[in-house]
Amino acid sequence: MHGLKKNKVRVAGSYIYLTILALLAVFPLLWIIVSSFKSNNEMNKFPTSFFPKELTMRNYNLVFEELKFGNNMLNSLIVSFASTVLTVVIAALGAYAVVRFFPKFGKLLTQGLILAYMLPTILLAVPYSITLGQVGLLNTRIGLIIIYLSFSVPYALWLLVGFFKTVPIQIEEAASVDGANKFQIFVTVVLPIVAPGIVAVAIYTFINTWNEFLYSLVLINSRDKMTVAVALQSLQGQEILDWGVMMAASTVVVIPSVIFFMCIQKFIAGGLAAGSDK
Amino acid sequence: MKIRKKKKSPGTVLFILPTVLLFVLLLLYPVLSSVFYSFTNKHLIKTRLDMVAFENYASVLRDKEYWNALLTSSKWTLICLAGQFLIGFTAALSLERIKHGRTLFRTLLIVPWAFPTIIIALVWKYLLNGVSGFIPNLLLKLNWVSAAPQFLSNKDLVFPTLVFINVWFGFPLIMVNVLSALQTVPKELYEAARIDGAKSGQQFFYITMPQINPVITLLLILRTVWIFNNFDLIYLITGGGPAGLTKTVSIYAYEVGWGLKSLGRSSAVSILSLIFLTIVIVILLQLQKKTNKNE
Repeated sequence: MHGLKKNKVRVAGSYIYLTILALLAVFPLLWIIVSSFKSNNEMNKFPTSFFPKELTMRNYNLVFEELKFGNNMLNSLIVSFASTVLTVVIAALGAYAVVRFFPKFGKLLTQGLILAYMLPTILLAVPYSITLGQVGLLNTRIGLIIIYLSFSVPYALWLLVGFFKTVPIQIEEAASVDGANKFQIFVTVVLPIVAPGIVAVAIYTFINTWNEFLYSLVLINSRDKMTVAVALQSLQGQEILDWGVMMAASTVVVIPSVIFFMCIQKFIAGGLAAGSDK
Repeated sequence: MKIRKKKKSPGTVLFILPTVLLFVLLLLYPVLSSVFYSFTNKHLIKTRLDMVAFENYASVLRDKEYWNALLTSSKWTLICLAGQFLIGFTAALSLERIKHGRTLFRTLLIVPWAFPTIIIALVWKYLLNGVSGFIPNLLLKLNWVSAAPQFLSNKDLVFPTLVFINVWFGFPLIMVNVLSALQTVPKELYEAARIDGAKSGQQFFYITMPQINPVITLLLILRTVWIFNNFDLIYLITGGGPAGLTKTVSIYAYEVGWGLKSLGRSSAVSILSLIFLTIVIVILLQLQKKTNKNE
């Protein structure tokens, strides 16, 4: 009886604790969104009400018409989309080869790629900017796309190895008896089985490249090629800090990230735990 | 036998070739060239390149600012790790305990994880700024303080504030991974322990912890590396200030490389970090081996 009561208190405590944490976790997101619809006048008043008294689109108009933020969003979309497609293709081929054809060498390779995770971004940024400069790809989106592969492929490969391991080899053998070659088997038999994993990895890659900051900062320097993260940073340097405008720009950047993230939360949950026994 | 022969067919190499190329061109080559640059006077703009042997390393190690940055980075890593694990663990255990709304809570709690660093920086700067910031003004209204606290420029407040923001952003990853690790622990173990009369605290330390130890160690290593190396969060919020109080090794390396334009010296700083991190990880792995033996 006593134990039961103690347990109830514990459960109640858990609910309270989680509620406080959840409020803290989502408050900044809500604050960004509601602030983006507030007029300048209202933003600087205190106490400011949580919800705007009158909705204004002024901030959004400024963001897209005067600051041409749509252009930066397009840059980010191009860079993230291209690196995601390349990442998924390279990592899927590589992960399959690691699982099926080169288990020993593959293990070495994945370990090498994990080690890459240890490298400070700032360490790689130096040779990247030098080499891109030498081949004329500095300050280009193509250069940035290539560099993004350096962190997205290792992680994607690592995750995909786990998915490919779940594919039963018998199915592939059956297809090979029917006369299909390795590439045909890979595309028509294996890929459909791991499709959910590939979609999840693609979304994860997209978010990470969309959010990336340092490489974009040091490898791109003209305003018309800047990605959203760096464009937002450069907005801060302007004479008058207009928080309404900043929050409107932030809203259009953070919302896709959060929505995509929600879609793959189940997958994220298993990621590392599955990886640890590889 | 037939399958084995097929494995060696040249077609299979094409599958792994892109990955190997990427590994060599985007990781191996840059690291090796970084090591090379660290022994040169490579400049961001000037094209002349001379070998300077260990001069970069010597000048970094002689620089008091470097040692301060290393100390700041170490302090920063330790405190943020502790915070992230404390909140992440307790949140995961609480989620395990409740029956209703588990998915809802988990969904809300991972929101910070989806934030781009630049937005984390912007929103917290906006919420915390000493003039019109929501939080300082709220504290004033509640009469908890007599003057609006300058969270990001006061020398006593800036470090704890940054730690708070880092933990806010970082705890969901720990929570989610601990949660899924917890679900791999066989339920029978707990039942057996309960029959033997083990208290929940005992169950946690004798059943849960040993079972999820491998995941925790991996998480610990990955997070240590990530927090230590992380550049953008602090750079975007304080830029290393006020008065260099929050200047970590990454920010120091950036300033040397892109501020002073001395890429050679910047490389030396990063290589030193890499050596430092390797030592830390080896120690962590040794510790894990030891605890495994003790069990």
